[in-house]
Amino acid sequence: MREFITITLNGVTLGGLYFVAAAGFSLIFGLMRVVNLAHGSLYLLGAYVGWSIGDATGSWYLALITAPLGVAVVGVLLQQAFLRRIQGQELREALVTIGVSIIIADLLLAHYGGQNYEYTVPDALNGPVNLAILGVTYPAYRLFILAVALVVGVGLWLLLKHTRLGMIIRAGIDDRDMVSAIGINVQLVFALVFGLGALLAGLAGVIGGSDLSVRPGDDGIYLLYSLIVVIIGGMGSIGGAAIGALLVGLVSQYGLAYVPVYSVLITFAMMIVVLSVRPQGILGRRT
Amino acid sequence: MSTVRIQRIAGLTVLIVLLLAFPLFASQFLVVQIGIQSLFLGIVALGLIFLAGYGGMVSLAQMALYGVSGYTMAIVTVTYGLPWYVGVIAGVIFATLLAAIFALISAHTQGIYFIMITLAEAMLVYFYADQDRVFTNGHTGINGVRPPLIGPIVMSDPTTFYYVTLLIAALVYLGLRYIGRAPFGLALQGIRDNAQRMQSLGFNAYAHRVTTFTLAGFIAGIGGVLGTWYDGAISPGSIDLTRTINILVIAVLGGLSYLEGAFVGAVFFTLVTNFASSFTDRFNTVIGLAFLAVALFFPDGLIGLSKKTLQIATQTVSWRGRNALESSKPVKAPSASKLPTSDTVSEDKKLMIASANPEEEEKQQ
Repeated sequence: MREFITITLNGVTLGGLYFVAAAGFSLIFGLMRVVNLAHGSLYLLGAYVGWSIGDATGSWYLALITAPLGVAVVGVLLQQAFLRRIQGQELREALVTIGVSIIIADLLLAHYGGQNYEYTVPDALNGPVNLAILGVTYPAYRLFILAVALVVGVGLWLLLKHTRLGMIIRAGIDDRDMVSAIGINVQLVFALVFGLGALLAGLAGVIGGSDLSVRPGDDGIYLLYSLIVVIIGGMGSIGGAAIGALLVGLVSQYGLAYVPVYSVLITFAMMIVVLSVRPQGILGRRT
Repeated sequence: MSTVRIQRIAGLTVLIVLLLAFPLFASQFLVVQIGIQSLFLGIVALGLIFLAGYGGMVSLAQMALYGVSGYTMAIVTVTYGLPWYVGVIAGVIFATLLAAIFALISAHTQGIYFIMITLAEAMLVYFYADQDRVFTNGHTGINGVRPPLIGPIVMSDPTTFYYVTLLIAALVYLGLRYIGRAPFGLALQGIRDNAQRMQSLGFNAYAHRVTTFTLAGFIAGIGGVLGTWYDGAISPGSIDLTRTINILVIAVLGGLSYLEGAFVGAVFFTLVTNFASSFTDRFNTVIGLAFLAVALFFPDGLIGLSKKTLQIATQTVSWRGRNALESSKPVKAPSASKLPTSDTVSEDKKLMIASANPEEEEKQQ
């Protein structure tokens, strides 16, 4: 039982990390219909930059705040420099983000090399925590990831449901042309949303990198999980991303614990089941 | 015979002679590193271009299917020690079957959704190969796959390997060219352009897509056999995200609308990776920049670019006398049919269509 609780907690906290990574992907897709295949690269960029900031200043919290902001700037530049000029041509936009991901991955490899980087997480977050109710001890840091995911989820919900910007974004997801026809600067909203999506990827990079380590190839892993999460949860839906992330996190952890060799196949099977029953994803809408 | 036709036949003859004579004048390094590698990567890219150009499905699963075939063959021949032909048949069949399963899952979707789902499928194959220890031997993969002795044909000899690969590449190219012009291929292009209309005409769009994807999987399987013989091994590293994307890079660089683009892109790609690496470690950045430039500015790839340049050149030469004639030609209505659809469209009209709407093709969603 104790083992089961630990595995469940592993799944839930991992789901939290996947949610932070996938929410940005889903947000960008929902509004702009851009499949940002450089999302994993932005994750990796955040993870490396965060490590460098933490290493140089000795402050992990500073890295947690500044690295995502840096990634957001890169994201806005990427959108303005490349994607804006081919807006609306979805396939070309996807191809351009692939080109960008190749370049980012190579430049990061050039600068950081192939070795693993370990973050130094503050002691306050590093120790084990005794969860009296459940009767298990659990790493505090994993609970911190869950807290971050909750903050991100609630923050996005507030932003989308209770602010003017959120209203514009939601309207834009439904009918982009109408939003711009009533005099709203859609280009500005696009830049902001792309920046926000990149910021979330960078944030996931710092908290995910601190959990294990940072190394080349992580970009592919988090791109894959972002994809699976939004395919399962429904593309463009933040709630769907939360459900998808939780499902993927739990299923992959149960799989890893009970049928280690086939855990990947179980995730795949889950994707097939969802796609065959609800092709648009659990909370997705038909387009 | 028109001059265009004579030029085409002459060009084709020169190309065939060059390809056949390549091992005679090129060093072994060139034959192995550029020749063979371009050919088997080109075969896999051919499948992708057929999918993308004729079927409107940009797949990222081709390298995974390549891997499925390569792994199956390696397991059958190395782990179980069965003869080479059992391995080849099992590899290609297994890749084709898995392609059919992938197709059943993903062929309902189109455009960017299709890219996402096929990418997820590809990465799952990769992670399975990386995790499994029973069949695929985890991170190490399977080593010691030897190119076989096929009767008197010694496949381990680079020149022989080159000619066999060239022959297979030519067969796959001609086969796809034929299928593209057969009723099936025409229906497929119709479905790409307007699935709803084709459905109303009684064509089953889903079945056409599934069949095409399965066919492309079969081709990727052939590429996987050749590539695994070439490498002498297969590991998760042979089918990781970089390799997966490389095939797309090759197809896009060559030109998604032209079957020939597969080999143009593959030659360009192998040249850059082999020769750029001698003066910079960042050849992937070079590839990435070239890919970015093509995606942003030349959606028809290198072939489209060269055709456009040729067209501008001929137009400038014959500009004076033919100005009035040119402008009186009817301009073809924009459609996605700038692909090499049929022989009845004359060469220069095809060029006109290609340059008239370089962006139409992308609007698939």
